[in-house]
Amino acid sequence: MTIDRVFGPIDISVSGMQAQDKSMEIISSNIANARTMDAGQGTPYRRLEAVLQSENEGISPVVVGDVAQDMSALQRIYDPGNPQADANGYLTMPNVQLPVEMMNLGVASRTYQANAAVLKRYQKMVETTLELLR
Amino acid sequence: MSNSVDIVGLLEAGIKAEGFRQKTIASNTANIETPGYRRLDVNFEELLAKAMRSPDAADVQDLEPEVYQTLNTPIRSNNNDVILEAEIGEMIKNSLRHTTYIRLLQKRFAQMEAAMGGQG
Repeated sequence: MTIDRVFGPIDISVSGMQAQDKSMEIISSNIANARTMDAGQGTPYRRLEAVLQSENEGISPVVVGDVAQDMSALQRIYDPGNPQADANGYLTMPNVQLPVEMMNLGVASRTYQANAAVLKRYQKMVETTLELLR
Repeated sequence: MSNSVDIVGLLEAGIKAEGFRQKTIASNTANIETPGYRRLDVNFEELLAKAMRSPDAADVQDLEPEVYQTLNTPIRSNNNDVILEAEIGEMIKNSLRHTTYIRLLQKRFAQMEAAMGGQG
């Protein structure tokens, strides 16, 4: 359909907003689980990250290709009084770093805003074209 | 095909379809947290193209927009597949299309008025 070409920028901006929405969901999961010792299988929560991909080559919308686990080392904290501490008194904690998450949150929300701004500006552009029809 | 294409009829059909689509978008956003709700969409353009291609010139005004459930969208855990951003995008497209049709209709009527030379 040729009409898709006119509305292409709208679809692309919307895909950007959706991708950042998903990123934000993942960041909130990371922050909520920053001290989760049991993420289902008795092991601590591992931080997640969205892997963004272009939908196709060239001019393209963005999609969340994968939600990958961060395989960097889990944190070890000395807390012998904790009932979950091991024989040496250490706790294994998730590899979530709150400052990193807050920084990523800022990036995600700014990117979301940028996509919304493009969407709005493009809408204005088409409206300008339509003014010529008056 | 006759060369006197019924412009007013075509535009009217388009505006009707946009009205329908706006209703489905409203329904989708209203049900964004309703468990089990699947988003609705309107098929009109394809039906119109088919009707215009067929040799027996079907009256475009008899064409009814078709409301259908989209079945290939990813579903969330509560069996709902409405994405707010996508609905906003659809709404913007819909309103731009709507404005286009209305402006063209205005132009058409202005032409008719000019042809009548201001009589009556």
